[in-house]
Amino acid sequence: MNKLSRRDFLRLLALGAGTLTVNQFLASCGVKPAAVSSTVPAPVTKMPANTAPPSATEAATQSPPESTPTKALSNADVVVARGGEPEDLVRRALEAFGGMGKFVPRRANVVIKPNICVAYHTYEYAATTNPWVMGALVKMAFEAGAARVQVFDFPFGGNAKEAYARSGIEEQVIAAGGEMMPMPEFKYVATAIPNGVDLRSTHAFQDALGADVLINVPIAKHHGSARLTLGMKNFMGLILDRGAIHNNLGQRIADLNTLFRPTLTVIDAVRILTNHGPSGGSLDDVKKMDTVIVSTDIVAADSYASTLFGLQPTDLAYIRAAAKMGLGKSDLNSVKVEEITG
Amino acid sequence: MSTYKRMDTPNKVKANKPRREWSIARRVVQYVSLVIFIVFFVMTQRDGWPPALVNLPMRLDPLVMIANLFASRTFLATSSIALITLILTLIFGRAWCGWICPLGTTLDIVSLDRTRGKRPPPPEGWRKIKYALLVVILTAALFSNLTLLALDPLTILFRSLNVSILPALNQMVRVIEQVLYQIPGLRNAVASFDMWVRPNILPTEPLYFKDVIFFAAVFAGILLLNIFAPRFWCRYICPLGGMLGLVSRVAFFRREVSEPCRGCTLCTRACPTGTINPQKNFASDPAECTMCMECLEPCPRSLIRFKKDVSLAEPQGYDVSRREALVTFGATIAALALFKVSNLVKREPPFLLRPPGAREVNKDNLSLTKCIRCSECMRVCPTNAIQPSMLEAGAAGFGAPILLMRMGYCEFSCNACGQVCPVQAIPPLSLEQKQQQVIGKAYINESRCIAWSDHEECLVCEEMCPLPQKAIQLEEQQVWAKDNSVVTLKMPHVLRDACIGCGICEYKCPVNGESAIRVYVPETYVPF
Repeated sequence: MNKLSRRDFLRLLALGAGTLTVNQFLASCGVKPAAVSSTVPAPVTKMPANTAPPSATEAATQSPPESTPTKALSNADVVVARGGEPEDLVRRALEAFGGMGKFVPRRANVVIKPNICVAYHTYEYAATTNPWVMGALVKMAFEAGAARVQVFDFPFGGNAKEAYARSGIEEQVIAAGGEMMPMPEFKYVATAIPNGVDLRSTHAFQDALGADVLINVPIAKHHGSARLTLGMKNFMGLILDRGAIHNNLGQRIADLNTLFRPTLTVIDAVRILTNHGPSGGSLDDVKKMDTVIVSTDIVAADSYASTLFGLQPTDLAYIRAAAKMGLGKSDLNSVKVEEITG
Repeated sequence: MSTYKRMDTPNKVKANKPRREWSIARRVVQYVSLVIFIVFFVMTQRDGWPPALVNLPMRLDPLVMIANLFASRTFLATSSIALITLILTLIFGRAWCGWICPLGTTLDIVSLDRTRGKRPPPPEGWRKIKYALLVVILTAALFSNLTLLALDPLTILFRSLNVSILPALNQMVRVIEQVLYQIPGLRNAVASFDMWVRPNILPTEPLYFKDVIFFAAVFAGILLLNIFAPRFWCRYICPLGGMLGLVSRVAFFRREVSEPCRGCTLCTRACPTGTINPQKNFASDPAECTMCMECLEPCPRSLIRFKKDVSLAEPQGYDVSRREALVTFGATIAALALFKVSNLVKREPPFLLRPPGAREVNKDNLSLTKCIRCSECMRVCPTNAIQPSMLEAGAAGFGAPILLMRMGYCEFSCNACGQVCPVQAIPPLSLEQKQQQVIGKAYINESRCIAWSDHEECLVCEEMCPLPQKAIQLEEQQVWAKDNSVVTLKMPHVLRDACIGCGICEYKCPVNGESAIRVYVPETYVPF
């Protein structure tokens, strides 16, 4: 092999660096507009895409075969399924909406965001989302024709690898064909929150912003400062600087929810943590409810879930802020709830 | 060249078959053992390979294990594996240094021979230093001090890789990843590379260590000493080399030069430790010879053999005399007495936190009696909380682990440091035991706390507390808000009896600069 001289090496290095620079320059000049729009996510334009489900005809052709055609589709805001195995609860609740096919288009890139806040405990302690609820959602997304299902969260206690494993979610998601993704720092992009009242910008996780379908799967549990952590607070796992959120928490969670608009919110209340949240650790604080709450309206879902703890939606600062900003319905008198008991 | 040799070799001298092959074999063994050392280093992770496997190199080090035995007065069956090294040294002499030691191999690779020129090597008397250091280390160990094990070659290499080289490499990779991720076409490639490399090889989170420049400079200094003589460190300073050198004086295999040597000095020039003495018929000191066999090939007459010889090695001019040994012994005791009159002995530093259980199993918390300064615990700590101390515990505590809660916290579901510690200086607690082990106690500084001082809502410490019943309690109080209205606010209180001092509250406290909740040492001697 010829020995590379120093001069040649430096020349090649400069050439390589030059190419990379030119590539970047060309990209930002608009040669590849599609690529650019994904580098700089435009959350506001994303909002309607996330919220608007596919047309009814499309949904009808895609609904899983087990959905009963005779049953009329629900026009409820919130569907609550009670009694039974976690997977069964999820399936029954979604069937009421016409099945997962109504929300997940074919070849969609689906992101399912659980709550895996700590690596300390297994799922029985109700600190992390129920693994079988997650597994069911991944399966159903693939049944509806999703191309890819990614699952990730950013634990505050312990690292993601350990937390994914201990929560049991990794096993169920992978068994269902989904991917447990790490959240490397370079995937957080500086993102403006144009509709935010107090929080105007943040570093948000790009893969969540860019997903075709975002399914939010919190576990309902107690939280010292926010009182409860439900769907809206779950998006704190998608931003880098969570310390900045803790000031004026209620408003800032609502602001964050103008950025992330989930297609579906599935609140896992199979087990709820009634005290010493969000990390938990004592089975005395866990209450088995065998309940799953599904809604396209994250505020309505959270509002209903607050009643599981004997609270009113207005007791939670972030629900009050979100309702004021028009992010969803919080008045339980106007929220249409359909209960399904097995 | 080989033709020339064959012609030069007289027929009556039996041709020595393996010559160059020995030095190739040595190099292969050296590289393999260096690679194993580095692979074990990389796999020293909480979710990596079994801790009893990855800390094996450290346990093979007889200096570290004997010093620990003296200092801890506890026999550890796991440490007896160091006997293998001693027995091999009894048979083959300092072959450890020439064939196995990963720092020695690094010094061979970074030999800097081009910068060396024709400078004469340092005086032979300098070889004493390593024996003196050995006496100091073993004397101090008898009095339960292991501070100078920071000069053991294995701990040096592990610490340098751990505290400076890997974090810097990781930083470079992170920057490159970040830059390349901006290029649309490379995005997927960068993401898959990242998934492959983390957390298996590089850490997911960036690593930060205190005094990293110091530790990097020490390592660079050891490499740069090669400018003055090949393997300067091994010849003059290495205390492990000194120990193995002493054993080698009665080793079974020795280098021997037979007649009729014509004194061409080619072997002298080839010897990396400079121990082949032309004045003594090209004999070498078995205590200095690393059995590297580099002298075999240049000998035009193949007169050099490594053969069995049961006798005591010739005394050398640089041997430590009895008087010198006794003076070193006495000086060490005097220095240890100085350690004992440090102000820190009377009043322990308030934030001198040790990994879980270490305070309890070490007789002296300042010098951390059992700790061999290997820094394996710093490597496995998933939150980067365990850091090398410089003078936080006085000079006696140099190199031992301390917990800096603003750097990381003791993760509730982790007990990796106690598992990996090769000498149980951090006890191998089960997860249940570790979750009850008190590291310190948290105190809230109310004049800095957002809730107490600014009268604004903040309960991050309570939220983070991993204990099932929470060691931070919230108490509602009526306080004046900024707009002079009276509001009800939840105030954090630490339940001192429940607190284990894991430090996650201190780590996550959103107050700028010093945390408003800090973990203090659990109990200190109070003079009356």
